Amino acid sequence: MNNTLRELLNPVQRQSLVISLTAFLTSLLLIVLLSLLTLITVRGGAYFWPTPIYKVSYIDNQANDHMVLAQVTLVDEESATTQLKVATLETPYGSELVVEDTKIKRMELSLDSAAISLIDGRMILARPLYLSSSDKDILPFYSFEAMLAEVELINDEIESIRSNQLASIHEQLAVFDIKGVEADAPAREKLISAFTHAQQEVERLESQRQAYQLRVGFADGRALSVNLSSVDNLYFVSDLSFIETWGVVLSRVRTFLTESPKQANTAGGVFPALFGTILMVFMMTIIVTPFGVLAAIYLSEYAPDNLFTSIIRISVSNMAGVPSIVYGVFGLGFFVYTVGGNIDALFFSDTLPAPTMGAPGVFWAALTMAILTLPVVIVATEEGLRRVPEGLKQGSYALGATKLETIMKTILPIASPGIMTGVILAIARAAGEVAPLMLVGAVKFAPNLPIDSEFPFLHLDRQFMHLGVLIYDGAFHSQTNIKSASMMFASCLLLLGVVFVLNLLAVWLRTRLRKRYLQY
Amino acid sequence: MLKLFEHNTLHVNSIDEANTAIDVQGLNLWFGNKHVLNDISLKIAKNQITALIGQSGCGKSTLINSFNRLNDLHNSCKYTGKVVINGKDINHKKVNVSRLRSKVGMVFQRPNPFPMSIYDNVCYGLRLQGVKARRQLDDAVESALKEAALWDEVKDRLFESAGILSGGQQQRLVIARALALKPEILLLDEPTSALDPLTTLFIEELMGELKKRCTIVIVTHNMQQAARVSDFTAFFHQGSLIEYADSDTLFTMPEKNKPKITLPVVMVN
Ligand SMILES: Nc1ncnc2c1ncn2[C@@H]1O[C@H](COP(=O)(O)OP(=O)(O)O)[C@@H](O)[C@H]1O
Ligand SMILES: [Mg+2]
Repeated sequence: MNNTLRELLNPVQRQSLVISLTAFLTSLLLIVLLSLLTLITVRGGAYFWPTPIYKVSYIDNQANDHMVLAQVTLVDEESATTQLKVATLETPYGSELVVEDTKIKRMELSLDSAAISLIDGRMILARPLYLSSSDKDILPFYSFEAMLAEVELINDEIESIRSNQLASIHEQLAVFDIKGVEADAPAREKLISAFTHAQQEVERLESQRQAYQLRVGFADGRALSVNLSSVDNLYFVSDLSFIETWGVVLSRVRTFLTESPKQANTAGGVFPALFGTILMVFMMTIIVTPFGVLAAIYLSEYAPDNLFTSIIRISVSNMAGVPSIVYGVFGLGFFVYTVGGNIDALFFSDTLPAPTMGAPGVFWAALTMAILTLPVVIVATEEGLRRVPEGLKQGSYALGATKLETIMKTILPIASPGIMTGVILAIARAAGEVAPLMLVGAVKFAPNLPIDSEFPFLHLDRQFMHLGVLIYDGAFHSQTNIKSASMMFASCLLLLGVVFVLNLLAVWLRTRLRKRYLQY
Repeated sequence: MLKLFEHNTLHVNSIDEANTAIDVQGLNLWFGNKHVLNDISLKIAKNQITALIGQSGCGKSTLINSFNRLNDLHNSCKYTGKVVINGKDINHKKVNVSRLRSKVGMVFQRPNPFPMSIYDNVCYGLRLQGVKARRQLDDAVESALKEAALWDEVKDRLFESAGILSGGQQQRLVIARALALKPEILLLDEPTSALDPLTTLFIEELMGELKKRCTIVIVTHNMQQAARVSDFTAFFHQGSLIEYADSDTLFTMPEKNKPKITLPVVMVN
């Protein structure tokens, strides 16, 4: 075989064969990579892109005629079917329906239909008809913005009564309770009457707000009233200009990035998860960098050159290959239960048996990820340290520097690009891991962020949300719900973005350091 | 002329206590099982230039590294015998190695400026000693760079990276870096072997100047260089001191004071 090949082709041909083979394989790899990126970008982008609403009339299996408003979610050429998200009075938020193309009688853009997003994250597909307010009069739809502003005003008013009056009365009453003021003391009664008064005011405002209604109709002529106070925004998605389309995309991206998930992680935004991911990676970096660098310095500069050191070195590089779930189990068993449990017993014994540090939390997650990424940092740092020329170290010693001074002033600066490489790899790995995190602190839904304005601001014991967990969760919903699938892809896109940005930052830093020590 | 002649008659055996910068007494040195220096005894004269010559691998670098205890960096290094500087054995355990190294400066074969500015390079040793005052550092940098004949070339770019300098300039920077600590002894380990001939001459001239300030020990495997610059020359072969004499005797009257091994053959690199 080899011989025949050699006979058939001259050296130049053989070389070009090798070149084309390698080029082919490289392009194959690129294609796979590109299609992955395209899939995630397209499916993730679909979450933000406004889908037009059609007026569809079709015949169902019982030969009944139907007229519905619908968004097309999937066109299957092969089986000649169309998957629709259909909105009717019974299912105003849309339900999945697969219709054979032959059964569809008519399908036309419904220019006056809108996608109405509610505050709770759900979305109604319907034709806005008119508005009604407390005066029982009916207003044309074009005063939508003005009415929404009125509702907003009432909201503000309620909010200000709640925070300024009700809350402060509450506090004063609590003080009375502590001081043991009699239940029928005049001061207390005065407060209580003020409280009821404010509460009545709130109730009055709420009922006033309740009266603001939006009437929407469906394709078959039936109609539904929607509370204006529950409407977040409204777009005529079938009738958007190019700029308007991008406006909708931008506003949805903003919602996605800044708001909390709604409807069991199928709508709303992912801010807490984004925040949790970045915070965890950040804490992990702060923990792993000094540990990794110190360990590498010890191994390459101080450790005697013997069998024991070799064994440690081999173990460290093998640690990088341990499945991540094992680290998760270790984190749970050691950090959470053993270390955390002991901390609780020592410092938080007054709140036991409710655990404080003895439960999964963001700090334990960061620590577990730090252990997981430690080998990467150690190996890369050692590599960087090895690259420091012997001559420079000798030069430093020859000027009277001690070993520590030489390490601090000469070796570490020159090895810093190597250290950065390790940190980059660690960040990339930590941002993408999900499995161990689910054991040590990442949850599908956390009521609070790990950082807030309450002392001590950074709550290391709190559980946190993570983009990876959100994606994992979304993958389970996705079999039944297209919407959550695209939210999952959008989260994927965001996670990729986060890893990309973190890497970019680190690479930029490394390039700067490299430039500084270019000659070495 | 007469004075010059007198100078030339100075013999290695006549180096007295007061004029000895380094007194090596029966130094044996091993790297692991390898016997690298074999019973070396020699006195290096103060404010003179002593050249160490010999084949590559014969232990010249190891010998001068034992003058500032740079061999301590290698765990496998063992020795017996003494190296006496200023009346004290430098291998004594009470000796402050940092102080010793700042008094015995060293320049290596390959220029090794640190990846920092020219200014910071020269200040490196002083800052280690805790000197922080800007004025003091400025003055030290200027005088060290002047002594190393580099000041005029770099005075306008003191704060640029040392990496932009040419090889010869870098080597002079390394010399200045050592001089900033006001050393008594300057060890040069093949300082010009990575440089072009003109730069080499320049540095040789510089050595003539520096000799007034400190004792110079230079390792070279260039015979002409040893003959040109040195007052004394020690010739090594496979870790042993074969010949030690004033350079004029060694290089001009070989038949009278014949080395046990013919020099030209040994010196082929
Ligand atoms: N760190 C070391 N470990 C083991 N052997 C060494 C070490 N340094 C030098 N040697 C050996 O000592 C001998 C002398 O080396 P060196 O002093 O560098 O020679 P020269 O400078 O004369 O060329 C050589 O054979 C070299 O292999
Ligand atoms: Mg050498």
